[in-house]
Amino acid sequence: MSELCKLLFRNDQTSASMPIVVSSRIRLARNLSGYKFPRHATHMELSRVGEICRSVLVGCKLLKEPKIFAIDGLSATERCALVEAHLCSIELSKSEFGSSLLVANDNSTAIMFNEEDHLRIQAFRQDLDFKSMWLAIGELDDYIAHSMDIAYDDNYGFLTSCPTNVGTGMRGSVMLHLPGLVVTGQINAVISAMQKLGFVVRGLFGEGTSAFGSIFQISNQYTLGMSEIDIISRLYQVIISVIANEELARKWLLKNRNLLVYDNIGRSFGLLKWSYTMGSEEAIRHLSNMRLAIDYGFLPQAWRAGLDNLMVNVQPSHIQLADDKQLSVEERDIRRAMVIRKFFEKIPSLKF
Amino acid sequence: MKKCQICGKPATVNFTQIIDDEMKNIDLCDECAAKHGLFEQNGSPLSVLAALGEAMFGSIQKDMAARGLICSSCGCTPTIFKETGRLGCKNCYKDLNPLIEKIVESSQKGMRHIGKQLHSHSESECTCGTTKSPPTHSGACECNSPECKLDKLKLELERAITEERYEDAAVLRDEIKNV
Repeated sequence: MSELCKLLFRNDQTSASMPIVVSSRIRLARNLSGYKFPRHATHMELSRVGEICRSVLVGCKLLKEPKIFAIDGLSATERCALVEAHLCSIELSKSEFGSSLLVANDNSTAIMFNEEDHLRIQAFRQDLDFKSMWLAIGELDDYIAHSMDIAYDDNYGFLTSCPTNVGTGMRGSVMLHLPGLVVTGQINAVISAMQKLGFVVRGLFGEGTSAFGSIFQISNQYTLGMSEIDIISRLYQVIISVIANEELARKWLLKNRNLLVYDNIGRSFGLLKWSYTMGSEEAIRHLSNMRLAIDYGFLPQAWRAGLDNLMVNVQPSHIQLADDKQLSVEERDIRRAMVIRKFFEKIPSLKF
Repeated sequence: MKKCQICGKPATVNFTQIIDDEMKNIDLCDECAAKHGLFEQNGSPLSVLAALGEAMFGSIQKDMAARGLICSSCGCTPTIFKETGRLGCKNCYKDLNPLIEKIVESSQKGMRHIGKQLHSHSESECTCGTTKSPPTHSGACECNSPECKLDKLKLELERAITEERYEDAAVLRDEIKNV
């Protein structure tokens, strides 16, 4: 099994999963002072920046077992799988030269080299523990600032290749599972309210992607004129209020549309347990209903973390990477249904 | 009164479009709405969004081009920025400042950075006149001068409020008053 596959198909992930929240992330954008930003840099400059970043970070004690992958050394499938696992952005996965991805600390830290900025430092959690995430990423950022000459201006703060990231260079984002708000038709009002409050709502894989399986990413729009702590605490407050609205929507559905809830969940359960071919979008839709079933208490809570892993593992590139030979779309659908059936063999029956 | 986001006249139409689950809200005057086919049955709403982008950035770009802005370090211009959506280097923030200011004004909460400060090297001078300690996550200098002590206390207060430690916050607030 390749290093990349070992990293992607981990079985020992912590089960810190919680209802409604799928995962959260903090990202910091940083650039080296004496070099052009990646989009305008020559191959030689990109290589030099990559070398500096690698040499500084490989020896960093804050990073446990760091693995570095040169993006141009990965196949198209491997690149897509990193996007599916939310470790790498779509932009980095399309990079043709000089970009790398460092993954460390049990996949809870990832650093992109030469993406839109020289460094994109990311910390991930499966819950809303922003405090531990901010402490971890802040410590790493201090180490980087101490070891490299970082582009910084007293007025604009940390300088980034796009002025929409300048200042703190920080983007906090939370992935939320909001089937209640989608089914009750309130999601557009929530998206609109988020935008008025200075937050951006995106689909499952970030900018310009759709919200498969009722999963949405909410992140801060502003990076300048607010402190990091202010950005995080406002994001946290907004997320808590969206969660409260989702909980209300779910309660309303169970009280007033219980047959619809049982029918949707029951059908999805049956299809996941007994299908012999299934596309990835359909799989995500039904698995989303199973996450809802766990949150409602129709299935044991202990299955949520495994289900979240499965949602990633049934994505097209993950299915392909798990097989030695090149698969057609139809073969992938068959293989996907098999992976899901295996998971559902062990799951107890629904208790409505 | 809301203004038309394309021409600046008073807006009479609020146009909402959901694309890829993202809601776009635009205020338009009658004239611009009609011009972009909003009142036609088969009018393409996307053309309105494209026109809005052009209107917002196009006018800034024309203004900047007239001033002959160019980054002396990397050669980036407002036109190159428009094409790539990215600046060339850190010096662009100085040489293309009129462009940066307009973008920041329309897309950010404020014009100045008020977050974490960069302490690049342990040898560097602190504003208090002493040598800075190695960089810390708190972003505050470790010396005991009143300026730095105040900075440190303010950061601690902010953190206490975020973590909902209100008793600690009250103590810190009093300490700040005394400094």
